[in-house]
Amino acid sequence: MDCYTANWNPLGDSAFYRKYELYSMDWDLKDELRDCLVAAAPYGGPIALLRNPWRKEKAASMRPVLEIYSASGIPLASLLWKSGPVVSLGWSAEEELLCVQEDGAVLVYGLHGDFRRHFSMGNEVLQNRVLDAQIFHTEFGSGVAILTGAHRFTLSANVGDLKLRRMPEVPGLQSAPSCWTTLCHDRVTHILLAVGPELYLLDHATCSTVTPPGLAPGVSSFLQMAVSFTYRHLALFTDTGYIWMGPASLKEKLCEFNCNIRAPPKQMVWCSRPRSKERAVVVAWEKRLMVVGDAPESIQFVLDEDSYLVPELDGVRIFSRSTHEFLHEVPVASEEIFKIASMAPGALLLEAQKEYEKESQKADEYLREIQELGQLTQAVQQCIEAAGHEHRPDMQKSLLRAASFGKCFLDRFPPDSFVHMCQDLRVLNAVRDYHIGIPLTYSQYKQLTIQVLLDRLVLRRLYPLAIQICEYLRLPEVRGVSRILAHWACYKVQQKDVSDEDVARAINQKLGDTPGVSYSDIAARAYGCGRTELAIKLLEYEPRSGEQVPLLLKMKRSKLALSKAIESGDTDLVFTVLLHLKNELNRGDFFMTLRNQPMALSLYRQFCKHQELETLKDLYNQDDNHQELGSFHIRASYAAEERIEGRVAALQTAADAFYKAKNEFAAKATEDQMRLLRLQRRLEDELGGQFLDLSLHDTVTTLILGGHNKRAEQLARDFRIPDKRLWWLKLTSLANLEDWEELEKFSKSKKSPIGYLPFVEICVKQHNKYEAKKYTSRVAPEQKVKALLLVGDVAQAADVAIEHRNEAELSLVLSHCTGATDGATADKIQRARAQAQKK
Amino acid sequence: MAFPHRLDAPELPDFSMLKRLARDQLIYLLEQLPGRKDLFIEADLMSPLDRIANVSILKQHEVDKLYKVENKPALSSSEQLCFLVRPRIKNMRYIANLVNADKTAGRTRKYKVIFSPQKFYACEMVLEEEGIYGDVSCDEWAFSLLPLDVDLLSMELPEFFRDYFLEGDQRWINTVAQALHLLSTLYGPFPNCYGIGRCAKMSYELWKKLEDEEDSESKGRRPEIGHIFLLDRDMDFVTALCSQVVYEGLVDDTFRIKCGSVDFGPEVTSSDKSLKVLLNAEDKVFSEIRNEHFSNVFGFLSQKARNLQAQYDRRRGMDIKQMKNFVSQELKGLKQEHRLLSLRRCKLKYKSQFTVLIPALGRLRSENHSRHYLKKPKNKNKNRDISWPLSYAPALFFLPSGLIPKDYRSLKTQYLQSYGPEHLLTFSNLRRAGLLTEQAPGDTLTAMESKVSKLVTDKAAGKITDAFSSLAKRSNFRAISKKLNLIPRVDGEYDLKVPRDMAYVFSGAYVPLSCRIIEQVLERRSWQGLDEVVRLLNCIEFAFTDITKEDKASSESLRLILVVFLGGCTFSEISALRFLGREKGYRFIFLTTAITNSARLMEAMSEVKA
Repeated sequence: MDCYTANWNPLGDSAFYRKYELYSMDWDLKDELRDCLVAAAPYGGPIALLRNPWRKEKAASMRPVLEIYSASGIPLASLLWKSGPVVSLGWSAEEELLCVQEDGAVLVYGLHGDFRRHFSMGNEVLQNRVLDAQIFHTEFGSGVAILTGAHRFTLSANVGDLKLRRMPEVPGLQSAPSCWTTLCHDRVTHILLAVGPELYLLDHATCSTVTPPGLAPGVSSFLQMAVSFTYRHLALFTDTGYIWMGPASLKEKLCEFNCNIRAPPKQMVWCSRPRSKERAVVVAWEKRLMVVGDAPESIQFVLDEDSYLVPELDGVRIFSRSTHEFLHEVPVASEEIFKIASMAPGALLLEAQKEYEKESQKADEYLREIQELGQLTQAVQQCIEAAGHEHRPDMQKSLLRAASFGKCFLDRFPPDSFVHMCQDLRVLNAVRDYHIGIPLTYSQYKQLTIQVLLDRLVLRRLYPLAIQICEYLRLPEVRGVSRILAHWACYKVQQKDVSDEDVARAINQKLGDTPGVSYSDIAARAYGCGRTELAIKLLEYEPRSGEQVPLLLKMKRSKLALSKAIESGDTDLVFTVLLHLKNELNRGDFFMTLRNQPMALSLYRQFCKHQELETLKDLYNQDDNHQELGSFHIRASYAAEERIEGRVAALQTAADAFYKAKNEFAAKATEDQMRLLRLQRRLEDELGGQFLDLSLHDTVTTLILGGHNKRAEQLARDFRIPDKRLWWLKLTSLANLEDWEELEKFSKSKKSPIGYLPFVEICVKQHNKYEAKKYTSRVAPEQKVKALLLVGDVAQAADVAIEHRNEAELSLVLSHCTGATDGATADKIQRARAQAQKK
Repeated sequence: MAFPHRLDAPELPDFSMLKRLARDQLIYLLEQLPGRKDLFIEADLMSPLDRIANVSILKQHEVDKLYKVENKPALSSSEQLCFLVRPRIKNMRYIANLVNADKTAGRTRKYKVIFSPQKFYACEMVLEEEGIYGDVSCDEWAFSLLPLDVDLLSMELPEFFRDYFLEGDQRWINTVAQALHLLSTLYGPFPNCYGIGRCAKMSYELWKKLEDEEDSESKGRRPEIGHIFLLDRDMDFVTALCSQVVYEGLVDDTFRIKCGSVDFGPEVTSSDKSLKVLLNAEDKVFSEIRNEHFSNVFGFLSQKARNLQAQYDRRRGMDIKQMKNFVSQELKGLKQEHRLLSLRRCKLKYKSQFTVLIPALGRLRSENHSRHYLKKPKNKNKNRDISWPLSYAPALFFLPSGLIPKDYRSLKTQYLQSYGPEHLLTFSNLRRAGLLTEQAPGDTLTAMESKVSKLVTDKAAGKITDAFSSLAKRSNFRAISKKLNLIPRVDGEYDLKVPRDMAYVFSGAYVPLSCRIIEQVLERRSWQGLDEVVRLLNCIEFAFTDITKEDKASSESLRLILVVFLGGCTFSEISALRFLGREKGYRFIFLTTAITNSARLMEAMSEVKA
């Protein structure tokens, strides 16, 4: 165990820093790192190198080459740089490579060297060229800050949602700042720059001078500045070899250090872990690496090779041509356990477990010691935590074994922390593997979350590993396996050397009906790669028609889209396609398409009925649907037209259409209506009052009510209203007027074609029994009983019924006999009945 | 006599959950527009809304004033306007006019449109065309199922009928599928599905698609309702067009039951105020007589009155609480019934002057008297209730699958002359929906014609079977009715007090076709053996069964049957199926797009001047 702490270096009294190797690099670099533009993504991300960035020769061999490697040095991509000169490289949070060119254009590449997009940082940048650029990360995403040749700054806080901001000018600035950096706090991005002995802070409106408190005198220039990973701390390196460390707000000083090296450092980065009180800065020169903190002495390393520092959340990665190392502060749990002569519970537990394996009784002694202090729970927790921070699997194992051993002596120790740590370590060890090359620490992993890690695996096209992790962690399918399969399929469709058939089949075989997989998304991707046929094939597997349609429309397969939409039964979808088609096709074709799709046609008609009457007419015209065309004009005649002439004209058109439809009846009826309209108009002119829009019968009734009997009869003749009906009309109108005299006259005018029972009925209805009685005598014999009953003459009704010897009539009368008054009549009927039966 | 439910009848699921869901969603939507606001409600939505959330609930959520969406300028002074409408283009125009008027006046307000039960793309497009899409915010109130009664759910979409069966517009099918989906998420999956009709099949398929897309979480649930039966209205227009003689149906035909309640005007209540009565199973008296043939109702009610008197005498024995209950429940009910009754008596008399339209029988009689009726409506019906006489028309012509052109014409002429020429379109609508057919000229069925003319002169209309065999050789209905024995043989008096079969809802003369189909399919658990009927209904492609073999369904749930009427159902059908349920130990639950009757069907078909 003594050798375990060999790589621990104390900084001051309280903290240790250790540096261990992550990988020995696999890459075969031709140039020194110092000859390349280097960018490495945080969270164990990929490394990009641009070789020969400053050569301007035209010779192909000397052209710049962009190379992308995994953190373990496995080449991911290599491409010849053909665009303009690059000033700076950087990785976005989505692991996209941003290449800032001298002209202010930013080219975005994927992890595999695939060109994604580009954007420009504005005209001002284009004119003044880019002097320097930085890519920084905020909670919104990744930002780009640019120092132009005019010594102005332009920045965008989020390249995903590009909003350029030009920072204010620094007054009297003649030369480029010696160093500068971006600061982010309270969701605002600032720029801190050093010019000679002055420090300026730029926010989006103002420029202010700042002075770090407690800065040693004699500084004439700042050579380097560094902001911590979380933007909380700032370090300044001056030309006197002095390092100032403090919070980014520059409100106080944390500590200072004089390293007595006046040469400007190559890189300076913060090295601290979250929730630790220790602050340290790592400074790198050509051959020397120094860890400086709140201690009189610094830790010094010798650099054999040209190295590059990558700041991480909880440490610093250092890679060179041959190795990749990690430098960090030893976490508390590890320190407690492994510190020489530590009596911390965790250390004792680890010891106890080891003795136990040796079958020594010392195990019991150690255990007792912990238990006596009542610290076993704490000991187990310490071991679990420390295991998380170990890089080497054998150390992880022995710590976990110790934890598991300790757990046996505890009654109620919740198992989750142990189980989760085992799972997490398994995942971490898998991704740290040399072939994968994502050297995440436990803290970084927790910060990153498993979802993002999966995304990154997918981004590296490591689908099988991602799926295994999902299955191992039992993530729900929709968020886990199916999502990864969908990504796989999206990648698969880009393989242009495989035939459409094979790709579609392969995808379907693998995906099947996995829930949460959207075939339309995959198809959209296929279409994006220009493989329309493949996209259509893939869409066939999409169970939701709603998802198929928009893409089909985009691919200009409108007719297919229409039939799919109809299949889906979703009318809204059909409608969307219809409107699309309407704009896409000319009117004739559009109508023809509709004609073959009755469902769409009726839907469109419904819409036209309310919104586009003219189109509706055209639709009918196109189909030679004269019947509907007629109906259309009829509707227009009373709904759309106001003037009488217009209405008649509309009716005329309708009639013509009906003739064409061989619907003579409708045509005749329409013509009648035209005549009626004209006539009503004339009546209004001559007699006044309201006639228009009355039906024929109402017109007649109105005329009778107005006392224009002659005209009414004339109208009836003109329109061939049958006599019977005219009589009914007249009868009701006169009764309503209660013009009994006229009614009587009318009844006598000639023999009633409807008989006289209606006269009785209508009088009774108007509560005039006296008048009613006048007509009873004229009622036809078979209705007489009914008429008499109506006027309430039960006795006479009985007589008539008896006379008729009609059983039904007898019962009817009998049912009208009420108690006392009609007792005699009832008897009479009974007698008559008895008589009839005798016979 | 009342029909008590069988003791072993399965419990109905609790549908009040649907109301709570709808209310909560509405409140949520209202809260989305914080602050005081005026609410504009479409007239058609008022009654359903009333059943979900009353005014005080709306006021609690900062609704200031309520307006009706109608063709009048709104005088609202509120800064926030909320519209609760059906997704109709007409409404969009109304809103657009209002918003544009504000714009011209330089006034800015907040507008929110809540579509119920869902929004349509076409509506949004109209808003866009009118240039106000950006000014309003749109939301959906997915309120598609209103429990009108313990066993009756209505979608309150009367326009479904016209839209689908006349205009061929399928947009509501999605709504139906979503409603079914909601039911299956709340009450478990349906292990047995049956259906007939094009719309039924489409709804079913869409619904299944929705289920498939959903997570499999609900799949493990135990079904609460064992069967579902989907039926298109156009399978059986006959039943819907018949005049109803069951009490509830009769009330509907006469007074129009609106959203489960009926408004009695002053002439009924014999006072100045009109009275709104809620008709459902909670009203004890009503629930006892609702399914009765009306001829039994009088007797029952007088019996009830006598009982009441007897109970009155016993009242000394009651404590205050019982007494209160007694008075508020029964007495009130009885009073209303009495009032209703007295009115109905005279109404009935009035009606019987026309006819007691009993289906089949009635139809033949009307054929008989056709000339008579053709003239009568216009004279007798001064109140211009257009649908009423028109409902005869299909009744006359529906069965023989075509009318003699001469009669058809004279009918049309007279109708147009009395009600206005716009009804030319009504006739064309009826034709399109297949409710009215004319014999193609040249297609001479001389034998039949002579028979009909003979019938017309024949005053004795007793020979029903005869008439049927002679009428319309091509009529599928005849074949179906024979096949399914819809017209029971009349031997002796049909005792309406002790119904023998579902025919009692039409005085024992006719078993509703729709109900008979349901009965037959449930008996067989499939369409097997009904091929001929299906063929006659022209529905070979659209009859389906889907039976899951899993045994998760309890025997209790297997006796619960959800019947879905696409295009509306009548109270007679409901009564008939309730009767069937009692006979067979089932319990039926009804889901309909709307309650309908002959008058409503005809209104849906008629063209009215705007």
